[in-house]
Order: sequence, then structure tokens, then C-alpha cells
Amino acid sequence: MTLSKQSASIAAAAVASLGLMGLAEAHHSFAMFDRGQELVMKGKVARWAFNSPHAAIYIENEAGELWAFEGAAPAQLVSLGLTGYTFTPGDPVTVVMCPLKDGRHGGAIGYVIKAGDEENFDAWFRPSDAGCGPSRSWSEWLPAGYQSRAEAEEALGIEPGQGRGGGRGGFGPGGFGPPQ
Amino acid sequence: MKSATRLILLAAAAAIGAAQTAWAQPPGGRGGPPGGFGGRGGGLPETFAPPMRFASSAEHYAYLEDHYDGGIVHTYESVPKWEGVWSAAANNSGNRLFLNGNEIIPGVLTPDYEAAFQYRRDLGVDYDRLTSCEPAGLPRWFLEPYTREFVNTPTQSWWTNDLGNDTRRIYINQAHQNIDGTHYAAGDSIGFWAVDEELGDVLVVHTVDIYPGDYFRGTPPTSNQFETVEIWYEYTPDNAPADAVPNVAVNVTFYDEISLVEPITVTYTFRHRADLEEAGYRIRHWECESNDNTYLTFDENGVPSTQYRLPGEEGFIDPRGADRMRNPDLPPGLVGQEKNPIFDDGFEDFIF
Repeated sequence: MTLSKQSASIAAAAVASLGLMGLAEAHHSFAMFDRGQELVMKGKVARWAFNSPHAAIYIENEAGELWAFEGAAPAQLVSLGLTGYTFTPGDPVTVVMCPLKDGRHGGAIGYVIKAGDEENFDAWFRPSDAGCGPSRSWSEWLPAGYQSRAEAEEALGIEPGQGRGGGRGGFGPGGFGPPQ
Repeated sequence: MKSATRLILLAAAAAIGAAQTAWAQPPGGRGGPPGGFGGRGGGLPETFAPPMRFASSAEHYAYLEDHYDGGIVHTYESVPKWEGVWSAAANNSGNRLFLNGNEIIPGVLTPDYEAAFQYRRDLGVDYDRLTSCEPAGLPRWFLEPYTREFVNTPTQSWWTNDLGNDTRRIYINQAHQNIDGTHYAAGDSIGFWAVDEELGDVLVVHTVDIYPGDYFRGTPPTSNQFETVEIWYEYTPDNAPADAVPNVAVNVTFYDEISLVEPITVTYTFRHRADLEEAGYRIRHWECESNDNTYLTFDENGVPSTQYRLPGEEGFIDPRGADRMRNPDLPPGLVGQEKNPIFDDGFEDFIF
């Protein structure tokens, strides 16, 4: 090692620490979303906006209410297999989302499941950013009919928040170098 | 040609006391093996500190110009090509420079900026200046996630960032210019190409006149005196496949006499994203001001936070439909005004 170079251990540690740090949080804070809640909603797609800095999906739910959900940026979505044509208006879908803390009709998107794919987890889409990191246990909870993470955890005797984690945001196979 | 690292060895011996100077460097992080090539980390080359304590970034840059004998002039054929889509990969910057756990590392930031950092941390990280669609600017440009393009020509390099209207322009073999009487998000960057014995082709960049910014959301702020000296080069991690496109790395020294006690040198890397290219991805998505519905708000105590605007609420922007906020001077319902033609025959536009 030369005087000019830092120890390899620092570099190695820095690289290793990346996975433990914040994920690809885009251009704003996610303080308005309640990441502690994960709720199920059924409806039809009204808008799918595949745009930067955040995608958005708008759902008309079964009660006829329009709900707005924020997702990740296109580059991240592409790595997860989504494009601007993944959802079209009128598509019947089920979403798992983290609602706005103030109770308005919106939130951060977790999963989007097209009708007929409810029991096929591999076909689910996860356009989520750091605003919502839904549990992978939804692959079992949704077919079982649970409507919220809290409901599933209570019914199954799981310590709150201890279901299989999903991380805070969606990284695709290629992944994105996280910032800090 | 000369070597940046060998140069530093020689200079370190010559600069009495300089080698012992407590140049602020990234503290050691959590242990563990390096990330694999093509993974999220993508490998991180070693960071090399400047050979001595320069009085300013300009002096540092001039030293490198002299060291590399003024550099070389490339042609369109010979200039290094870093084409395609790239994304940010491993780095040793960000809050690890300033925090040990939840405690601010003393002596890295000046007292005013250490206090400001504590103030920001005490508020919580519930707001980000980029919420209002401000470009990331430097130094955050280095750390922003998602994609980049690096277009190098003999006279300029244009480096775009997908997460912001945030293109850096590096003016090659030219002098700084600022006829605008202000600073800029990306500052004013000049540079020269050279060949380093160890690193190969390098692009040395000097950036000044930068807006006060930050390293990322929740990091300490930088001041309007923040400047950089950057050494860009290609880097192939040890575990990369033989036919892999090399990563691009930058060894960058931050100078900021207002916010930093001493300059800091770190490394950022970027990796080529053939997977995104093959999926048809192109950088053309930055429409923040015309489609983003997050905004700054304050609670009853004046604490800044972020909110999300919904359809029907004042100021909502329909990101794909026909948006009255976009063209209030057109008659409502004009055919063909949806940004995305899918919606011409789909759902009705949102009702406001």
C-alpha cells in the first residue's frame, strides 16, 4: 500500500456497507407515507404514468373513489420489467399500498397485481420506491384474503412488522447503486 | 506519462509535514467483502489523496496540469468513449464522511456547518430541496441514483443525469467562464485529458461557481464556496468478466473553506447498464415540473416536510392526461391534448 492510497479495507468496507444504507430514494422525502401500514385495494387503472422522477398509478376503487399512488422512477421500473405499457386504463388490478398518513385517498405503491395473477407471485409487479416496501408474505396473505398487513399478522400470530420483509424499495435484477 | 499515484508518493515525501496533515478521508465503514461486479456496488477502486495540502482547488488543478505536462489533445477518434446508459454504483462518500453511527464526527465540518448539520438532523429528514424540482447539482450529482450518459468530445464532455435536468458540461482545454454573475447547480467545469501510467486515460476536471447544495438528502450542506478537483478514469473491478465494459470512476477532492475543516477526497463509480439499453431504456424522463405532485409543507411548528397532491386538489398536475394546469389558455376538453394518447380512448380525464 502506498502513502497515496487508502487501505483497501476502507474501500471494501465502503462497498459492503452500500447494501445497508438507504436505497435509491429519489428526489424527495417519503415522510408523508405510512410505511408501517400495508393495505389491499381493488379497482381499475385510471392512469399509469411512467415518468420521472416518480411513476404514478391512479386507481378507481370498487367504491368509485379515485386513489393516487406514487412509485419509483422509470430506470428502476425498467429493471423490474415494467414499461409505460404495463398497465392500461380500465385494467382490473389489486394493489398493496402504504397509505398517506393523513388519510387522504393516496399513498405509495407496493405491489400491483393484475386480475387472475393473485396467486402467482412471480407475475406481480412491484413498482415501489422507498415510500413502501411491502412484505413478500403477501404472496400468501393475499390469496388467503387478508386486507392489511396488520390483519394478517394478528391472525397468524406474527409479531407486528416481523412478516417477511420486502425492503423499502424495488430494486431490479441489475439494481441501482444506492446513494447514501 | 506520469502516474497520479506515484506522483503522490514523490510529492508526499517532498511535502514536509503534508503527509502527516490530517486530510479528511472517508472513515472506515462496516466490514465485509466487496460487492460483486454488476451488483449494486460494482466494485470500488482505491481513493488516492492529493499529494499535498493545496491552498485552493485552483492550485490543486494547476498542479495536476503541470504534472501531466498540460495534458493531451484528443481527436474525435481518440477521445475515450463512455457511451450508453450508466448508473451510479459504489462510492465511499455521503454521510459516512460525517457520521459515526448517529453522532457527528467532530472536526470534519466547520463549527457553523456542524451546527447546521445537527439542526437538519434534529428536524428529521422529511424534506428534500429537490422536491421542488431543483437540479441536484454538485456534489450530489455524483451520488444521485438512476442513470447517466457520458458523452465525450475533444472540446466538451456532456454528462446527463436522468433524475434531474442536471447536465454537466466540461469544457476541455478551456478557461473558466462566468459572465452571469451567479453560480449554477452544476457549476462551471473545465478539464483536460491526460494519460496516467497507472490509471490510463484520465480526464482531470476543475469545477467552481456551484450553488450551495449537499452530498445527498440528509447530509451536511455545502456552501457557495464548494469546489472540486476530479480525476475521471476507467476502472475494471478485479472480479469483472474479461469482456466487461469497464466502470467509470472519479476520484474527487472537495474543497469548501466555509463548510469543511479540511478538503475531503472520495471515490464514486458508475457502471454500464447494458440491461437497461436492451430493455429499450433511454434518458428522456425528466419532466418534474410538469408531472410531479410532491410539494413542500410546514407543520404547525414550522417544521418542513413533504406532501403528495391528489387529483382534485389545488395545483394537482395530471401526469399523462389533458392537464388544465399545463394549458389553462386552451378550451377544456380539446381533443388530442393528452400527453399519452392511450388516454384518448381510455378513462375520462380527471375532473377538476
